[in-house]
Amino acid sequence: MKPIDYLRIWLACARYSVVRTMMFRFDFIMWSLVEFFWMAVNILLVAVIYNHTDSIAGWSKYEMLLLVGSSMLVQRFIMGFVWTNLFEMARNIRTGHFDFFLAQPGNPLVMVSTRKLDLDGLVNAVVAVAVIVYALRQLAIVPSLAGVSLYALMIFCGVIIHYSVLLITVSLTFWLGAAQGIEGSYFTLMEFSRLPRQAFKGLTHVIFVWLIPAVVVSNVPADTLIHGFNPLNVLWIVSIALIWLSFAMWVFNRGLRRYASASS
Amino acid sequence: MRTFAKYRHAFLVGLQSNIVYRWNFGIRAIFSLFHLAFVFILWGAAYQGKTEIGGFDLSQTLTYFIVILMMQFFIGAFNEDYQISEDIRNGLINQFLLKPINYYVYRFSVFLAARLVSGLLVLVPLFIALPLIKDHIVIPDELWRLTLGLPAMIMAALIQFTIAYIFGLLTFWFLEIQSFIILSLAIETMLGGQIFPLDLMPAWFFRISQWLPYYYQMYFPTAIFTGRLDEASALSGLGIQAFWVVALLGLAQLLWVRGLRRHTAVGG
Repeated sequence: MKPIDYLRIWLACARYSVVRTMMFRFDFIMWSLVEFFWMAVNILLVAVIYNHTDSIAGWSKYEMLLLVGSSMLVQRFIMGFVWTNLFEMARNIRTGHFDFFLAQPGNPLVMVSTRKLDLDGLVNAVVAVAVIVYALRQLAIVPSLAGVSLYALMIFCGVIIHYSVLLITVSLTFWLGAAQGIEGSYFTLMEFSRLPRQAFKGLTHVIFVWLIPAVVVSNVPADTLIHGFNPLNVLWIVSIALIWLSFAMWVFNRGLRRYASASS
Repeated sequence: MRTFAKYRHAFLVGLQSNIVYRWNFGIRAIFSLFHLAFVFILWGAAYQGKTEIGGFDLSQTLTYFIVILMMQFFIGAFNEDYQISEDIRNGLINQFLLKPINYYVYRFSVFLAARLVSGLLVLVPLFIALPLIKDHIVIPDELWRLTLGLPAMIMAALIQFTIAYIFGLLTFWFLEIQSFIILSLAIETMLGGQIFPLDLMPAWFFRISQWLPYYYQMYFPTAIFTGRLDEASALSGLGIQAFWVVALLGLAQLLWVRGLRRHTAVGG
């Protein structure tokens, strides 16, 4: 299949997701509220701590808000574009319904990752952008068009990194089978993306800054908006995105070889 | 006595079925240690250059979060709302309507069994992490904290479970309650003091929170044990907590009676 064919399929899936969401409007409103409230909880944590201190690891209140906003933006895109698909992938592997994706005439990874859109996640991406814009105004930062483009590229890399980590955790289902709830571990690990890199010391610095790409996804984009273009930062986040995506695809393909469907 | 025996059996069966899921609880407990690491890093950075925040030093704040974590596994409602919802949706609840069993007490017995298993399991990773966290554990040694903290913990368990029970009963009215549950979880998590100690909020907000049931879920017993509340506040808090236990039990009973009127059992 050509890339244009994948785009057509994705657009058809997106249209179906929008129609489906509009059929269950109450659910859409409730889930949007759920996500919004969790974001508010994270912002409130920042507000409460900064009521008692001026700086966390050298980051001021609005710099921290920018960091949390960037982390939320990446996560909203993940929730909007791929979370439901990968969550259902784990369930489908366990039940044998994964056959459906293998029988389709496209790349299984693309087909499985792009089936549904979650509009509530995407709606709340707007809220995350509002948080970022508010923080920038408080910091009196007006980024140039090039700065915004660079930030967008870094957020895109962040989404790729999160997607890769999520794909790896979900692909473990090929080996673990019955271990339900393994997808939830992604949220635990990605919680660290709301912390400034400078807060990590010793072993935690090695684990969360270098081994697990939790810190890079939010710190590098936020740092770019605050301190401007740094080629090392760009190189860092792009390389991490490529390395983790390659690794995730490798794990997925290895897992695929183990998949034996379910007896019928 | 026979009444007690049937719920004792429910407890024992609950114990067995929850031991089957020990790995799920165990994995969850291990991942909660990551959350504890997040808390240590965040608050460690916030305390840099400061000796106290809100009148408490770093060790007192970290102790608070360690005890909150233990509370979550010993008295927190995990998926009881889903289980009750499934019972109603699948019609399994019909069997309880035909037998001399109180559904609330039955579910509460199973809840106690589940928390005993999950509570003991969280001690394992905490014990492993002890060399790293022991320097930050400071528990006050006043005896009244134990004598008031334990009843506060028991009533907190009742509040936790009853709120989950109430959300489960919403299935009588709504087909899909998952979004309600997660929205409520977000509110409980914040106003229950699981994200930050409630006493760090502005004074007016803290005073309002003291009148809400969420305050008495996790924050109240934890604050008694970890020295964030004095004896007078603990005593008056126990009174308000008892009120919320009664009020929530009353609401649960009301929803149960009204819900059953809407319930339709099909098949034999």
